[in-house]
Amino acid sequence: MQDQLRMLSEMTREFTASHDYKTVVHSALARITKYLGAEAAALFLLSDTGDTLACSACVGPVDITGLIISAKTGVVGRTVQKREGTLVRDVRLDADFGAAVDSKTGFTTRSLLVAPLSIGKDCLGAIEIINRVGGDGLFSADDLVLLETLSRAAALAINNFRLTEKIVQRERETHELELAAEIQRDLLPQPLGREFPVHGINIPARSVSGDFYDILVLPDGRIWFNVGDVSGKGMNAALLMAKTSSLFRCLAKSAEHPGQLLNAINNELCETNSRGMFVTMVGGLFNPANGHLSLTNAGHEPPLHFDPRTERFTAIPADGPPLGIGQGIAGPDGYPVTEFDLAGGMLYVFSDGLTEATTFGGGMLGIDGARALIREHAEESPEIRLKSISGAVKLPGQSLRDDLTLLVVEDMASAHGPSMPVPSADAKSTDGEIMRIRVPARPDRLKLIRAAVEQASKYCGAGEAWTFDLIMAVDESCQNVIRHAYGGRPEAGDIVIDFLRRGDAMEVHIMDFADPVDPSKVKSRDLSDVRPGGLGVHLIKSVCDEANFVPPPPGVGNLFKLTKRLPSNIK
Amino acid sequence: MSYQVSEVSGAAIVALTGDVDLQTSPTVRQKLLETLEKHKRVVVDLSAVDYIDSSGVASLVEAFQVSRKKGSSFALASVSAAAMRVLSLARLDKVFTIHPSVEAALAPQG
Repeated sequence: MQDQLRMLSEMTREFTASHDYKTVVHSALARITKYLGAEAAALFLLSDTGDTLACSACVGPVDITGLIISAKTGVVGRTVQKREGTLVRDVRLDADFGAAVDSKTGFTTRSLLVAPLSIGKDCLGAIEIINRVGGDGLFSADDLVLLETLSRAAALAINNFRLTEKIVQRERETHELELAAEIQRDLLPQPLGREFPVHGINIPARSVSGDFYDILVLPDGRIWFNVGDVSGKGMNAALLMAKTSSLFRCLAKSAEHPGQLLNAINNELCETNSRGMFVTMVGGLFNPANGHLSLTNAGHEPPLHFDPRTERFTAIPADGPPLGIGQGIAGPDGYPVTEFDLAGGMLYVFSDGLTEATTFGGGMLGIDGARALIREHAEESPEIRLKSISGAVKLPGQSLRDDLTLLVVEDMASAHGPSMPVPSADAKSTDGEIMRIRVPARPDRLKLIRAAVEQASKYCGAGEAWTFDLIMAVDESCQNVIRHAYGGRPEAGDIVIDFLRRGDAMEVHIMDFADPVDPSKVKSRDLSDVRPGGLGVHLIKSVCDEANFVPPPPGVGNLFKLTKRLPSNIK
Repeated sequence: MSYQVSEVSGAAIVALTGDVDLQTSPTVRQKLLETLEKHKRVVVDLSAVDYIDSSGVASLVEAFQVSRKKGSSFALASVSAAAMRVLSLARLDKVFTIHPSVEAALAPQG
């Protein structure tokens, strides 16, 4: 009795002291085998389905670790099913004994002692002791009581190990998710400044988002953008999102239009994506120079085109299936492209996290709610507006039901136009805008531009010679826009020209929407050299009082300002 | 812009009409260089030119440079006020040979 107590005490201490449960279980089996004078012992654990038992530790002449036996039949199976200890003095007399294991291992089982690993109503498996060699060679009822006591302690220990493992695993997963969330945040584009025409916001519902958006500026100034939503949540969704996002960035550089791009992304995703997940996406290419948009929708929430002047919305419907479902699923022509002009309006692209979000009043925001929010905040700057709209559906202190992503494309050039110069304090009544024209930056429009200059000049009462010089200066300035700012590309963009009267001078503001020009490279010609070229700037400077690049207003690439004092007879 | 090429006593006369600008100057340049291929003496009549820009002037400069290389004669004649304004601003009025009229340009050189 004293020995039994000592052994139990030592084993329980081992169970609670160590986190390495395989070693502890093995040590316990060895201890009890020795104590009972048995030949072998094994510990079996139930599978998740409860159909089989697997040997997770054993002592004795034959190593059966990993051996799988039925949990429904045999002596061990019976013990597990009945949750009761079993004492079999002679296996030949027990109908449940199956000799299959013995025939496999070459071991001869004569007698058995089996106890369930019980925890309350649950059973984790069983411990089996085989063949008593000492004494009379027979197990006693006391031996079974001892084994049952020991099994209960072992079951508790195993359960604790499993719980601890689960917590560790969960912590590891949480840590992984935090890392994934960090990687995801890094994948989102950095804000590109107030004047940039495309803005986005992403608020994940959990630490890892299935939503994403991206903005990519091409060297010619056109802007690729997307909003996507990966089916599913958590780590797998995050990984698919990261992959789709990289494919977008990588393939956009060589794609001609969003239909082609989404087709290519779809084919790439289908080659590797096997988990039945898919991605809905709106991909677009925006030309800020002329407000033109090409859009392809792969099963995503239809984007909204909003005209702030009429406050009207137009939904751009989904035209293709989601990405990653099947190669060539969009039909022989691939994903279709919708082409339209923003025409001073805005395009809102969002995930269903917006329309399905819960509002302060309870209930879903819905598409009408989304429209109302867009209308309500239309006057705010894009960055503030996106925060206002998403803030209206994100209840303070609560996480969202779903990830929320919202992107806006604004036709800044024609929406508000380049801002008008503020009249100076000594402004006269004649001061102010005479007219503005907007024409495509093409050589065949120069004659129109010259006619416009002539009319603006006549409006101010200037004579023919003065007018001719201004015509030439404006014409040469516009040529520089066509040839240098837009690099001579046809359909590259527009020129906006403002004609203003400012005191005793006329100002002409020539604006383009190209990349900023380095003014140091625009030099007037050395007149001792008669080679062609470089003459334009010299002509401009010769006839104007001032001709300089000045900081452009928002949405404008370059602003070249000409000032020419009117003839003295004009007041 | 339109142009007309005629031949008077061995000289080619290229008469330009209208606006010589970024849109039309490539045609003018090509026509001038072609004429210089075939003729030792070329006169450009600018009387009907309403407007000429830096690219148009550049075409004239290039033709002038080609003629010098070939040892041909290249002259401007009857330059309109608009064209003259640009040429003088560019200070090319001293570079080109400019005759008051086509007849003067064709007069025997002495």
